[in-house]
Amino acid sequence: MSDNDTDDVRTDGSGTGIVSPDDETPAWSERKERTQGLSRLTYEYFERARREDQDLRQQSDYVERDVLAFPAWPHEMMRNIALTSFFVGMILFVSATLPPEMPNPANSSVTPAIILPDWYLYWSFGLLKLGPLNPELSILGGSKLMADRTYGVLANVVVVGFVAIVPFLNKGSARRPVEQPFWAAVGMSGVIFSLTIAALSIKNLVPMDSHLLFDLTFLVPIVSATITYAVLKTMREGYMFDLNRRYYRLRPPK
Amino acid sequence: MADEFMKGFACLMVGGLGWMTIKGWYNTPSFEGAQLTGELTIEEPTVFDQIALFMGDAFFWFAVLGALTFWVVLPLVSEFQTYLNERSA
Repeated sequence: MSDNDTDDVRTDGSGTGIVSPDDETPAWSERKERTQGLSRLTYEYFERARREDQDLRQQSDYVERDVLAFPAWPHEMMRNIALTSFFVGMILFVSATLPPEMPNPANSSVTPAIILPDWYLYWSFGLLKLGPLNPELSILGGSKLMADRTYGVLANVVVVGFVAIVPFLNKGSARRPVEQPFWAAVGMSGVIFSLTIAALSIKNLVPMDSHLLFDLTFLVPIVSATITYAVLKTMREGYMFDLNRRYYRLRPPK
Repeated sequence: MADEFMKGFACLMVGGLGWMTIKGWYNTPSFEGAQLTGELTIEEPTVFDQIALFMGDAFFWFAVLGALTFWVVLPLVSEFQTYLNERSA
């Protein structure tokens, strides 16, 4: 690192790439220095660490090159130890104070009254209950093209297929939902639909009229998508949005 | 602002954890059924039970009031002070 790297902006991808648009916009260092308390302490810690790292590199015989991160020891390691200690402590605390009851083993010779899959498969189970959507075609004399159970399986194929092709759609460079409100709304409706279709699968346990629940299963995702789109569109303005957009547009060097 | 959020969140988490523990001891009759909000599981509370029950209520209100204080009340006070300063200036 050279001595004049504070005012010398490098645009070849080797530096941070963060450029203030004008003189009134505070730079990152100025923004950090103005803060107080814990964030101030954190800034000073990392600034000192960076300085020590810089001094060591200037004293060493190695060829100088820029790195994009802090060394694993001690920075990353101390953070990981703190996080690990916290979660291990939580596990010990909860298991010591609230030990779970061990109920009787399941009786495999008795069929339960309500047969349900494990909770994480409720969405797939709910897709099997889409019989009311199976159209009765007048061209076939009012009969259905396929049985309701076949229709349910086909619904699973369609949904799983759509989820499978999502990674191949929309290869944009957006890193945040606010960059692409439409796709964020589509994703949000999918998340909500996975919850409502799971609620539909246990409709005899939900204290609600089953027809209303069936309608809500498809209405609530649309409503949530609309709300998500509106909120994200509203967030696409302001100083912080522009600042974060410049930051998130940074790409690691190839 | 971030510090204020973290303080309120810490109040919510510490109070919630304590409340959950006490309620799990005293207000959860069985594994299947009402959780944390069920009937009191002991007939005649001893002194230690009474202390624990009081601590359960204290944890609950610490969580609620702590979060409210740092997320709502203190920001409102600071906004009001800023408003007064701008008005007098």
